[in-house]
Amino acid sequence: MILIVNMCEDELSEMEFVRPIAMLAEDHVVVHYSQVRLADRRAAEKIIIAGTSLKDFDYLKGKFGWLKKTKRPVLGICAGAQVIAREFGFVLEDFSLIGPQKVEVVEKNKLADGSFNAYFLNTKIITECHPLAVCNDKPCMFRIPEKEIYGCLFHPEVMNEDIIRRFLK
Amino acid sequence: MKLGILYSGGKDSTLALMKSQVYHDVVCLITVVSENKESFMFHTPNIDITLLQSQAMGIPLVRVVTKGEKELELVDLKKAVEEAVKRYKIEGVVTGAVRSTYQASRVQKICHELDLWCFNPLWLLDQIELLYELLEKDIHAIISGVFAEPLDESFLGKEIDKEMIERLSKQQNPAGEGGEIETTVLDAPVFKKKIVITGSKTDYKNFAGTFAIIDAKLEDK
Repeated sequence: MILIVNMCEDELSEMEFVRPIAMLAEDHVVVHYSQVRLADRRAAEKIIIAGTSLKDFDYLKGKFGWLKKTKRPVLGICAGAQVIAREFGFVLEDFSLIGPQKVEVVEKNKLADGSFNAYFLNTKIITECHPLAVCNDKPCMFRIPEKEIYGCLFHPEVMNEDIIRRFLK
Repeated sequence: MKLGILYSGGKDSTLALMKSQVYHDVVCLITVVSENKESFMFHTPNIDITLLQSQAMGIPLVRVVTKGEKELELVDLKKAVEEAVKRYKIEGVVTGAVRSTYQASRVQKICHELDLWCFNPLWLLDQIELLYELLEKDIHAIISGVFAEPLDESFLGKEIDKEMIERLSKQQNPAGEGGEIETTVLDAPVFKKKIVITGSKTDYKNFAGTFAIIDAKLEDK
């Protein structure tokens, strides 16, 4: 079972940011970030932390300390990547990227390779992390060293579904 | 939250409107009328029917005309949204975008610049599922334009019912977001009155055609 963490403050946003990911993960459960319990995390084989609206920063109030303890593979998308970065001590900086942009993989990894276009909807970027891929020379995919925890600042569910499928494999 | 919806009068924006009303107040329709038939963002046949649809729903319309030049039409869209903020105090914008990153990202940018929420409740929805949802939600839409082979004159003016969905299912983009078909909604639960067409004109040539509504009226349901 895949745990999809819903990061949306507004229910209307869930159709845009949660449903498309749920469509790719056959056996899944969706839990709002404010209600994720230890039992949810233990029951999951893998965890995807979804993104949310550009104007939504409610998730920054959330507690994600469990990310450091979990042994489950985690993929954070956009807002999800931001909370992973924050928990592991990376710096978030204001920088808007909206719409399709070219991404280049700079370190071999199991989720993506080569260069491709990806759909961005974010207003913060992550610095000082070890990037797996960059966009305009700025990190847009990263992995926490020695863990199966990935962050992806773009929305792979829009133009790069294979990234999610490879994570779920 | 008070929202405005980018409203073309077609099936997608009407479905997006109804989904949004479950959670928020949709206080105005925003329509950009493009004079450019090749506009990527706004051109659709029967765009003037939004005046009648606005009356039918009892939701006011903010209407802006653009020459439809590629980036200038975005300036006009921004002006329309700003007008909706001023007149109706909207805090967010809804669109009926399904797959078009071109359209969606441009609206997202405008909302970001104006510090507004942006909602796309149909985003990445399966196209066949979308068409069947029209039937489930009792949205009555006709095909008002066809622009790709093998769609021919026989589609024009026809209602999207179960039989039509089966015909459209054979196309590469059944819901037509790539511009293959355009639709016009004549009735839906959000309409207090229904639209009855009293005059129309069909133009068709080489897998491109329109069903233009020349005259229409509102009738009690």
